Amino acid sequence: MRLYSLVVYVFLYAPIAIIALFSFNAGRHASDFQGFSVQWYGRALNNPFVMDALETSLIVAFITATLASILGTLAAVGLQGLRGPARAIFDALIYIAVMIPGIVIGIATLIALVTVFDVMNPWIENLWGDAEGAPRLSMGRGSLIAAHTMFTMALVIIIVRARLGTLEKSLGEASADLYATPLGTFRQVTLPLIAPAVLAGFLLSFTFSFDDFIIAFFVAGSETTLPIYIFSSIRRGVTPEINAIGTMVMLASLLLLIVAQLILRRGDRK
Amino acid sequence: MTNDTISKKKFMEELRRYEKGSVTRRHFLHVTGLGAATAVMGAAVPGLRPRPAFAQDIGDRAILATWPNYHDQANFDAFTDKTGAAVQVNVFGSNEEMLAKLQAGGSGWDVYVPTNYTITTYVEEDLIEPLDLSKLPNYDPAAFDARFSDAGIVDGVVYAVPKNWGTTGMAINTSHNGGKAFDSWKQFFDRTMDDYSGRTMVHDYQLTTIGAALNYHGYSFNSVDEAELADAEKLLIDVKPHLFAITSDYQPAMRSGDAWLTICWTGDGKQLNTDIPEIAFALGKEGGELWSDYYAIPKGAPHKEAAYALINFMLDPDVNAREVLAHGYPVADSRTNALLPEEILNDPILYPAAEKLDALEFGAAATLTDPNRAELLARFKSA
Amino acid sequence: MTQRARNWLLIAPSGALLLVMLVLPLSFVFVFSFGERGPSGGYVPAFTLEQYANLPARWTAFKNTLILAPLGTLAALLIAYPLAYQLAVRTSPKWKTLLLVLVIVPFWTSILIRSYAWIYILGGQGIPALLGSIGIENVRLIYTPFAVTIGIIYGYLPLMVFPIYVALDRLDMRLLEASSDLGARPATTFLRVTLPLSVPGVATGCMLVFILLMGEFLIPALLGGGKVFFVGNALVDLFLQSRNWAYGSAVAFTLIVIMLITVTIYMRLIARLQTGREDVAVM
Repeated sequence: MRLYSLVVYVFLYAPIAIIALFSFNAGRHASDFQGFSVQWYGRALNNPFVMDALETSLIVAFITATLASILGTLAAVGLQGLRGPARAIFDALIYIAVMIPGIVIGIATLIALVTVFDVMNPWIENLWGDAEGAPRLSMGRGSLIAAHTMFTMALVIIIVRARLGTLEKSLGEASADLYATPLGTFRQVTLPLIAPAVLAGFLLSFTFSFDDFIIAFFVAGSETTLPIYIFSSIRRGVTPEINAIGTMVMLASLLLLIVAQLILRRGDRK
Repeated sequence: MTNDTISKKKFMEELRRYEKGSVTRRHFLHVTGLGAATAVMGAAVPGLRPRPAFAQDIGDRAILATWPNYHDQANFDAFTDKTGAAVQVNVFGSNEEMLAKLQAGGSGWDVYVPTNYTITTYVEEDLIEPLDLSKLPNYDPAAFDARFSDAGIVDGVVYAVPKNWGTTGMAINTSHNGGKAFDSWKQFFDRTMDDYSGRTMVHDYQLTTIGAALNYHGYSFNSVDEAELADAEKLLIDVKPHLFAITSDYQPAMRSGDAWLTICWTGDGKQLNTDIPEIAFALGKEGGELWSDYYAIPKGAPHKEAAYALINFMLDPDVNAREVLAHGYPVADSRTNALLPEEILNDPILYPAAEKLDALEFGAAATLTDPNRAELLARFKSA
Repeated sequence: MTQRARNWLLIAPSGALLLVMLVLPLSFVFVFSFGERGPSGGYVPAFTLEQYANLPARWTAFKNTLILAPLGTLAALLIAYPLAYQLAVRTSPKWKTLLLVLVIVPFWTSILIRSYAWIYILGGQGIPALLGSIGIENVRLIYTPFAVTIGIIYGYLPLMVFPIYVALDRLDMRLLEASSDLGARPATTFLRVTLPLSVPGVATGCMLVFILLMGEFLIPALLGGGKVFFVGNALVDLFLQSRNWAYGSAVAFTLIVIMLITVTIYMRLIARLQTGREDVAVM
């Protein structure tokens, strides 16, 4: 069994090792190793577009994951007690939300929002009274976060609900019998029990948003996320700069992970 | 700003010295006043930049939609230094994608780089802004080879000004053919179905892939004739089992040796040939594509003044020459060519012999919008 | 506040988001699917069933998807289950979280970059070269359906591991001990106790992977060399290359309907498998 797990981890990390190896390539082309160099790290870090794209991706993924976890968990809890047609409609929407291919939701969102913004903008200008200074609705980080949150929130609902479904109803009832308020029951009984599912949902949401290309391609307006930057620059051959970016993102994630683990351990000991 | 105090001639001298390695990057940046531009994060976060007074306030940014490996970052930095507007670059893979994004709306671009055959479509769809030439003093129509500049003019109105041009031919690893390159699309497809089986790539893109199959049969690269397209389709479907891949990202497989033959653009051909001399770039004698790219402003560009300033800046022959040195695509501007070194102007990949160029055709607008060509490619890919 | 009002309040924000970012955009696609392609692409309003009549032109794409999506799901399940089991049941709590998160860490590197790494591993200089050195010549892996399957398993493994892990993690160890105290062999304990308890997780994982696979386009595009054509690829081409929004909308809607039908049947089956159980929490 242990050996099996090891093999799976090797499978997961073999491409990562290749990426890291070629990031130290002195040559210009990723798959043609011409000696050791760290120049591509410097180039990536000095490339304002890489840094800009990374910043956009991190902000979008963090806000998306936070919103999706909160909204999704609330909805999953709320849905537990909801029956009838409203529940059926909500369930159907969640299904459809996770089912729709990214390309479809990307283009559909773009068409819908552009149409809506075209209607709303003159209206806002009127309200503002000053056509020059009026805020304009346009595609950008906001629309991207909304599109990502819609999809990942549905994922969170599914995951949290699977966990809620396995909880004993009697726990909540017992808590109520002990005169706990509904909020108290939620905080002290439900939340700790569903916390692993919420955490899993947060991580999945972050990962999805950070890695998504196709929805962002349509919905991000003139913003460039890291996958958009990478997709456009690998079209004519991967340079080791891209590998360097991938390796750095990877190392940063691992570092965060280790720090988080250390903090959790210390918390345990107390 | 310091770069106002240095003449263009001095700038080019310094650039040459830097390129030859006789001065350090630091010296170059200092002397030319580009040093300030290396404060990259400052440029990326416009609110944090100190805003010195510029001759003309054009806003804090210009958003450019262009192709990969097609610019010199130092030029953008210099532009930012001069005008206060940072250049944000969005890179695309095909004209179809650019058109799709503009048709959907909400692109937010200020400048984009359409290819010759798409411009009439943009005009028909009302997606492109007529250019106010008074804001482009560096555009001198007389300096440009009309062949590579007239597609920017539709019904007498200038919508786009020339950037670079190039060809679409084939790259072949000659070590599997006794050191000899192919010279025709007939060889390209026949040998693919023979000893190059499993080693050939075609573009994931209607214009050039269908165009090459049409050339094989001796038809026009741009044909939308149903019978001719049917012949091309039959050839493509026969060839498909022998293909290594259908992809426009063909450099890696050519470099690794997995693939031996591919449809190829000038710049890629040049880059492959430079690094691996046995990979040759050749044009098909039956024909093929000749293309030219243009700078244009999309309708509804949010920073129009910055767009004009950027295009004008890029058309400056000194700036343009630096662009060519960085990306290696030819320009049609005689003022720029006068500044380029001999070995670039004599490169047979960049500048094929006139008789070879004569066989090539510019892509036609009809191919971009023809539903039959699009469906043909879909049938080919799903076959 | 009544319980009912509270529940409504809890779901209101997500309901609003679904309305604006899902129902509204999909209504546009639905309307578009009855329209026509404009002369230069895009959409022209019309009412015609022509787009739906034209669906057989994408039959191959639908067929490929409907074969490879279930196969990919099954393969991902077979590989993910033992790992999730090992992590949830056999790993000390000290390492659990770390090892679980390690499953997802590779996915913080863009799928695009990782696919390029796979292109190298499966390409001529990778595994085929290794096989060549032990005498197995001329193996072609890259740009084949096999490469696409590898990419799919690789890309979807965490989505399968996570829900199964969550389901197994709340497995009461005392149940397993009781089972073995009662003389059950480990295999029997697994089949009678562990496996049934993990069904909700398995069902969730399979559903997520299957659904996302139905709309996949990057992996076939990158690892299939453009020769393995899914509905997702057909859609990308229709919207980004031929810009036939009306036909693209019809293909998209058909895909959604096929998915709804498949998933409904699937859920009925799972529910029947679990008859009498309260916790059928597939979705």
